[in-house]
Amino acid sequence: MSTELIRNFSIIAHIDHGKSTLADRIMELTGAVSDREKKDQLLDDMDIERERGITIKASAVTMNYEHGGKTYMLNLIDTPGHVDFHYEVSRALTACEGALLVVDATQGVQAQTVANAYLATEAGAEIIGVINKVDLPSAQPDITAEEIEHVLGIRKQDCFHISAKTGMGVHELLDAVVTLLPPPPDNSDKPTAALVFDSECDAYRGVICYVRVFSGELNIKQKIRFMGTGRTHLITELGKFTPKMSPVERLSAGEVGYVIANVRQLSDITIGDTITDDASPAEKPLPGYVPPMQMVFSDFYPGNNTDYPNLRLAFEKLALNDASFSFIPQNSPALGFGFRCGFLGLLHMEIVQERLERENDIDVVQTAPTVSYEVITTDGRTLKIDSPADLPDVTQIEELREPYVRLEIITTTDTIGGIMQLSESRRCKLIKTDYLSQNRVMMQYKAPLAEIVYDFYDLLKGISHGYATMDYEFTGFEVGDLVKINILVNKIPVDALSLIVHRSTAENRGRKMLVRLRKAIPRHQFEIPLQVAIGGKIIARESIKPFRKDVTAKLYGGDVTRKMKVLKRQREGKKRMKNIGAVQIPQDAFMSILDSSD
Amino acid sequence: MNSKKHDFKPAGLYVHIPFCQTKCRYCGFYSEPIKNHAPQRLISAIITELTEKRGQEPFFAYQTIYIGGGSPSCLPAKQLLRLIGEITSRCPKPEEFTVEVNPGQVSKDILSQLRAAGVTRISIGAQSFASEELTFLGRKHSVADIGRAVRSAKKASFDNIGIDLIFAIPHSTLESWKYSLRSAIDLGVQHISAYALTYEEQTPLQKAVEAGEVKPVDEETDRQMYDMTIDELEKAGFKQYEISNFSKPGFECRHNLNYWANNPYLGIGPAAGSYWNGKRTLNIADIKKYIEAIEQRKNVIAESETPDNIQVACETAVLNLRRRCGIILDEFKKQTGFDAAKLFAEPIGRYKKLGLIRTTSKRLCLTRKALPIADSVLCDFSTT
Repeated sequence: MSTELIRNFSIIAHIDHGKSTLADRIMELTGAVSDREKKDQLLDDMDIERERGITIKASAVTMNYEHGGKTYMLNLIDTPGHVDFHYEVSRALTACEGALLVVDATQGVQAQTVANAYLATEAGAEIIGVINKVDLPSAQPDITAEEIEHVLGIRKQDCFHISAKTGMGVHELLDAVVTLLPPPPDNSDKPTAALVFDSECDAYRGVICYVRVFSGELNIKQKIRFMGTGRTHLITELGKFTPKMSPVERLSAGEVGYVIANVRQLSDITIGDTITDDASPAEKPLPGYVPPMQMVFSDFYPGNNTDYPNLRLAFEKLALNDASFSFIPQNSPALGFGFRCGFLGLLHMEIVQERLERENDIDVVQTAPTVSYEVITTDGRTLKIDSPADLPDVTQIEELREPYVRLEIITTTDTIGGIMQLSESRRCKLIKTDYLSQNRVMMQYKAPLAEIVYDFYDLLKGISHGYATMDYEFTGFEVGDLVKINILVNKIPVDALSLIVHRSTAENRGRKMLVRLRKAIPRHQFEIPLQVAIGGKIIARESIKPFRKDVTAKLYGGDVTRKMKVLKRQREGKKRMKNIGAVQIPQDAFMSILDSSD
Repeated sequence: MNSKKHDFKPAGLYVHIPFCQTKCRYCGFYSEPIKNHAPQRLISAIITELTEKRGQEPFFAYQTIYIGGGSPSCLPAKQLLRLIGEITSRCPKPEEFTVEVNPGQVSKDILSQLRAAGVTRISIGAQSFASEELTFLGRKHSVADIGRAVRSAKKASFDNIGIDLIFAIPHSTLESWKYSLRSAIDLGVQHISAYALTYEEQTPLQKAVEAGEVKPVDEETDRQMYDMTIDELEKAGFKQYEISNFSKPGFECRHNLNYWANNPYLGIGPAAGSYWNGKRTLNIADIKKYIEAIEQRKNVIAESETPDNIQVACETAVLNLRRRCGIILDEFKKQTGFDAAKLFAEPIGRYKKLGLIRTTSKRLCLTRKALPIADSVLCDFSTT
């Protein structure tokens, strides 16, 4: 099959700008789904995604579209729309030749619009500008078009005006997909090379790999080799998502579909790996995929130590559907055996947390999220530190480096002052300010990731009355004057409560941490001293006074059953906490240390 | 279930009289004003229940008897004596026979009649020797009534008299509590129960607290009052044998010791609880419905639970540990089949380190330090 009639494309957009609605409309117009089948936002197949209105994972749908007397095969590859999922967006874009950049005419260009456009350009995808929601009374399509031209360099007269909701202009847009986007190159005569750009795990069929065939072809019963891992498998099923899984005999160069090849566990394959023919393999694997970069780390410990194997199983299960999440065993002196987990960002972490709770019945204690640091030791080694607990002794540190990002904030001009104040308090340096229009501005900062990863977004939303949007991209590690704050609970240093902060704010943060902990840790049967130490020196103390009275005055015959229930409840409350020495520390306490507000 | 030799198993008998002159605002027990009811009908029903239960379970020996309430003393003397007569005819020589009385409702005459009918112990609901505290609690008797009741009981030749006191009443002070304790001691009673005021659910007092009309005493004062209780009573020759109970040597309330030993007891009357043949039950908490059920030979049990072996062991441990003598390891093993030191090894180890539990080769008990915060320790014995 010639690739002339194939178009592979993505829709990229800021959250809520109508990406999923447009995907639905396209599927309807091409007959991929009937009205009866359609549910809102068909591509989002996980509950959490639907509830949060965001798409976590890329999905791929194959459709037929008639144009100029020919039938084209359109492969729509969906992309996530949130700040944390740059990597997944880039994976999806690599499998495409083009992208529809959707901008809401009532909102204008937003931070993720810009970030996504950069990614598409980096992936070499052709971009079509799409202005959505033009039917709304508050739509300002002309201003939006000017912003697109100004910020993204797409000519305003080339933008398509549509309403994904009513379907207006979508036909014309699909015609443009066919006429303006290039077909994939025809490499069908070359050795087989297919890129695994996503995967999910089906309880019955095992791992389902989403693939884009770049050259050669994949056939049913073919013996394939994953070039990265070297493993070989027999293809048992090939197919396309229409959007239901529809088996086919063959996937040719340029096509997008799925491969099932008796792969039981996700750990057996690597996202970004190249599938080739075992007998006549490609010379080298396909370029392009960078392993996902985890920027935020947090330790998860089972509330009850006997749950450790169950927690491992739960993480393995989660990792099956989320290639950008990592977990490695961890042993904390205070908290016992658990896992260090890496996430793309804080939202990603929250999604994993939620899935962990929803899909498993395990009490988990989670430590405050931290970014990754680079340490140059006095003997010249470079260490990657994902937890303040792992930081070597100060005497062995030559240099401590923290991750920096390029931060883009788009907001209204009247909120610039507040945002500048917030950014300065977080050690962010303003690089430039760009006026998108008379009252909208894009501010670009150089920011330490640690300062913006936790509550920055919420504060930004507060200051801008929900208006400002932000996006960031990792730029590199830079030396910082950083120190570690250690917390001692009942005289025992608790590694899981330590924090790396800038020296200028360390004392102040340390004191705040103590106040938070005093409130978060319940009173015990004895007084609990809390101490904060910086560089081995205790700089502040607090104490949690013991409770003085906790006893049922009367317990006779009639009350036994009721009283036992009350006692059991009291005990259950304790069990939900983590024992450190004789002190029970609730989950909230581990998180409370990050709260830097007054 | 019952051995073929028909051994008599020791048990307690409790009779609940759910009548009061007026309901006190703090009281969480089931009771109703007596003026709304015909006492003789209830007493007949209670006697019927006793007869029936006795018929079903003839192999228990009631070693202790306790008539509580409510206030049994608000019954017409004739009804109370009829009830006592019916009980003693089925259990001629109990080791202990207690009747609870309200200090405002007893005369030397009635007390002498009780004594003659076989009652051996009187428990007087004094609560406080500060009249404003009595008013606050909604008690109808006076401070003077307490002294009169004790003296009458002595004259009626009771030599085992107990007084109930309540501390941590809103507006009370360490001084007022000390005064109450001293007054009780000075009356020369053999037994004192001292309870911290408990805000029971659904009581008018608890609602007043929720509405912000009443402010409970602060935790520190409550603690100091409790500490003072133990100190003052021990100084006066009383021995603490349970979290809230103190007596002169040999005058421990055996009926209540039976509860803390987790031995069987039969509860008769509305809202009474039983632990009988391994089953915990609660009777209907409604006088009218109770009487109807008895008269129509219907079930009077409203709630029932059969704890499994582990639950029994946990209940036994929690109850035993309320005693100063704690868990007696041999007895515990015999009673539950479990080795307490093994079953509760984790909390025992932890609390020994904190000085909250003491162990010897024979027993396991809470330390003095653990008493004021006993629930926080006992909850770790409530399940395994």
